[in-house]
Amino acid sequence: MATRDPLDFDVGVEEDEDGAPSPSSPLSYFERDRHVAFFGMLYDLMPYHYQSQEINRLTLAFFTISGLHLLKALDRVDKDRVASWVLSFRAHPINQAELKNGQFYGFHGSRMSQFPPDENGVSVCNAGHLASTYCALAILKTVGFNILTIDKESILISMRNLQQPDGSFMPVHLGAETDLRFVYCAAAICFMLEDWSGMDREKTKDYILNCQSYDGGFGLMPGLESHGGGTYCAVASLRLMGYIEDDLLSKNATSSIINVPLLLDWCMQRQAIDGGFQGRANKSSDTCYAFWVGAVLRILGGYKFIDKIALRGFLLTCQSEFGGFSKYPRELPDLYHSYYGCTAFSLLEEPGLNPLCAELGMTDLAALGIL
Amino acid sequence: MDYFRAIYKADERSPRALRLTRRAIHLNPGNYTVWHFRRLVLEALNTDLDEELDFIQRIANSNSKNYQLWHHRRWVIERLGSNARAKELHLIKSILSLDVKNYHAWSHRQWVLQALGGWEDELDYCQQLLEQDIFNNSAWNQRYFVVTRSPFLGGLIAVRASEVRYSVEAIVANPNNECPWRYLRGLYKDDIESLVNDREISSVCLKPSQEFRDAVVALWTSDTHPLDADLATAICDILEHVDSLRASYWIWRKNKLPIAA
Repeated sequence: MATRDPLDFDVGVEEDEDGAPSPSSPLSYFERDRHVAFFGMLYDLMPYHYQSQEINRLTLAFFTISGLHLLKALDRVDKDRVASWVLSFRAHPINQAELKNGQFYGFHGSRMSQFPPDENGVSVCNAGHLASTYCALAILKTVGFNILTIDKESILISMRNLQQPDGSFMPVHLGAETDLRFVYCAAAICFMLEDWSGMDREKTKDYILNCQSYDGGFGLMPGLESHGGGTYCAVASLRLMGYIEDDLLSKNATSSIINVPLLLDWCMQRQAIDGGFQGRANKSSDTCYAFWVGAVLRILGGYKFIDKIALRGFLLTCQSEFGGFSKYPRELPDLYHSYYGCTAFSLLEEPGLNPLCAELGMTDLAALGIL
Repeated sequence: MDYFRAIYKADERSPRALRLTRRAIHLNPGNYTVWHFRRLVLEALNTDLDEELDFIQRIANSNSKNYQLWHHRRWVIERLGSNARAKELHLIKSILSLDVKNYHAWSHRQWVLQALGGWEDELDYCQQLLEQDIFNNSAWNQRYFVVTRSPFLGGLIAVRASEVRYSVEAIVANPNNECPWRYLRGLYKDDIESLVNDREISSVCLKPSQEFRDAVVALWTSDTHPLDADLATAICDILEHVDSLRASYWIWRKNKLPIAA
């Protein structure tokens, strides 16, 4: 085990799907220790089921390590080793002139997208990605590494290559969809690096505003249906960029650049009769929207309006007896929903959890650099 | 993957490189470098792009929620141009017939309409989906997209009267359905005054009971255009009890109401 990389994959043997155990009746309280065991297991060895997500290895690592931090179990993590592992995914430009060549010199998502360095020590075929870069910086902050000491200039200057004329961001220079997810990654990267030279802020803001739908929520692109994830990306980005104040509702909301009353009403209606949050109107409740929509409400100052007891009840039906959370009640857990289940419990101020920085999606301690 | 790395580094744009990308995509459909290289090879070999669409379709059958796949599809359609339009809109329809709220498919559909056209039948399509399921918010959203952006309908103001009728009918049929309420509000996006003053709407929507409650909620979303304050207070009182999940919210709303003159 000691010779493996952090978060290495299990090779895996195919097993009979029908043979998978099914979770029994819901547990009646937040099972911190089981969750620590769940994230700890993923930290030691990522099950082979996650192999198809290899390209997003840093994202899987972020959920695992930040999850342990939320659970106050960061002692399970070898911080120095994780920091040097994360730094090894960095895409380095050969020289300053390269920063204008259209590519992005952030972090690769995994070894698979990274090419070994040539005889001069230069890694060609750069495929740095915005989401991986956000996750890399978030992990580094979580393990107490001072990210202001890295060569941030090359990240920020080359990030401008990814911004489109409409203000949105492409995640990788090789070509990919552009939407609010990568606007959020770009905003979070600038915020964490304490330097906004990585984007044209006015353009970014205009793109976000174009995504607010007729019902008050935000779609992932202009014209698309309002969506909990899109709404989080929009509101958290505006907050990180300083375009909206914290706890807007206690101030004069009508003067805001977005329609706050309509947004608040849309968010409030996402809590469904089963107590959970849905991501879109007339869809089923899903664990992760307790974070995506809950965090928006927290940023706006409206979290106090939700029915916390009902939400807690719903989340407990998604809690697995093996630790972790599933998307829907009484299913098997996965890493993504386990992370957002824990962030949701942190928003609910569950004892035994570190407080959450809603707009960065990680612990307050990591966001503030207090470790 | 080492084979792929070698062939990518050597920039070998050959039939065997194309086959290798196919294999790599099957193993890891999220690898954007592989997709990117596949596009370079397709261009170099001048491959039949209709065949490429079939290839994408086979991948989509196993995982239609892969972002790279949809981006790749867009790249192919851009090259095929408006000839591909009818087939593409038809294909998206068949994907939506299996998963009517597939966000990727809706996003792609909006892109096709904007890039290649095909708006003529889109309102009918929305109509059809809403007849199947009036609670389908993706279809309501698409309807809004069409009435506000279609070059054939003359814009929001031109269609407003008939769309108001449509949404009011839907509200009367299912007062608990959030979608038509939001849609109705959206039809008066920048003109809440007209919505509040429209007698036809208030006569239908401000009926007692369920409809009455929901109407006021939907109508009253702005601090600057208060309804009769006593009525609004009464509504908040009702909601505080019947919508207990949001009781704190309705109390807060009530306290934010302007003082009655």
